Amino acid sequence: MPQLIPFYFVNQLSFAFLTLIALVYIFSKYILPLFTFQQVIRLYITKLSNKS
Amino acid sequence: MATKVAAAAVDFTRIYSTLGLGKETIAALQAFRKRHADAQRIHGQYASQPTTVDFSHYRSVLKNQAIVDEAEKLFKDFKPVTYDVNAHIKAIEAFETKAVAKAQETAEKIDVELKELQATLANIEEARPFEDLSCEDVGKAHPRIEEAVATMVKKGKWTVPGYKEKFGDLSLM
Repeated sequence: MPQLIPFYFVNQLSFAFLTLIALVYIFSKYILPLFTFQQVIRLYITKLSNKS
Repeated sequence: MATKVAAAAVDFTRIYSTLGLGKETIAALQAFRKRHADAQRIHGQYASQPTTVDFSHYRSVLKNQAIVDEAEKLFKDFKPVTYDVNAHIKAIEAFETKAVAKAQETAEKIDVELKELQATLANIEEARPFEDLSCEDVGKAHPRIEEAVATMVKKGKWTVPGYKEKFGDLSLM
């Protein structure tokens, strides 16, 4: 039944969305904040070393 | 007896050299020791002198016996004035207990300070060079930075103002 062919991709599609959501969550929660953290600390210790 | 025991227990050279006392304190301590040594010397000097008078010798030598009798009578009647030294001893003992308590307190204080100094020294010795510093260490040392970054991220602020001007970035655009 050729009319059912698009539904054969629902499996792939759902996993792709799930993976995307998981990646967005992991990046925004655990990986990308580390870069901001690093920037803040770089500025902080630079200011500290300028003070002394 | 107690004074002798105390004198044997006190090692003055150690006190002068190791305790790090002030000049005034050492001078006062030396003056006190000198006074004590002088008193001991004078006491020894007088204790060695004879305390009896040989009246029979004077009787045989002098013609006037009446004066010898009178002198003997006066000598026998003489009684040294007694002083009540208990009050002084009590005051000294009170002072001693106070001084000992204060010294112990000072020793404890110095011990605590010494421990702190040693901890600081160990901290300095174990400190890593600046190049080896990691974000984790700074975050542990200042949890406030971590909190600030968390609130920044929650508000959608992912960049730090002034960072790009100072350090630049890797973007080609």
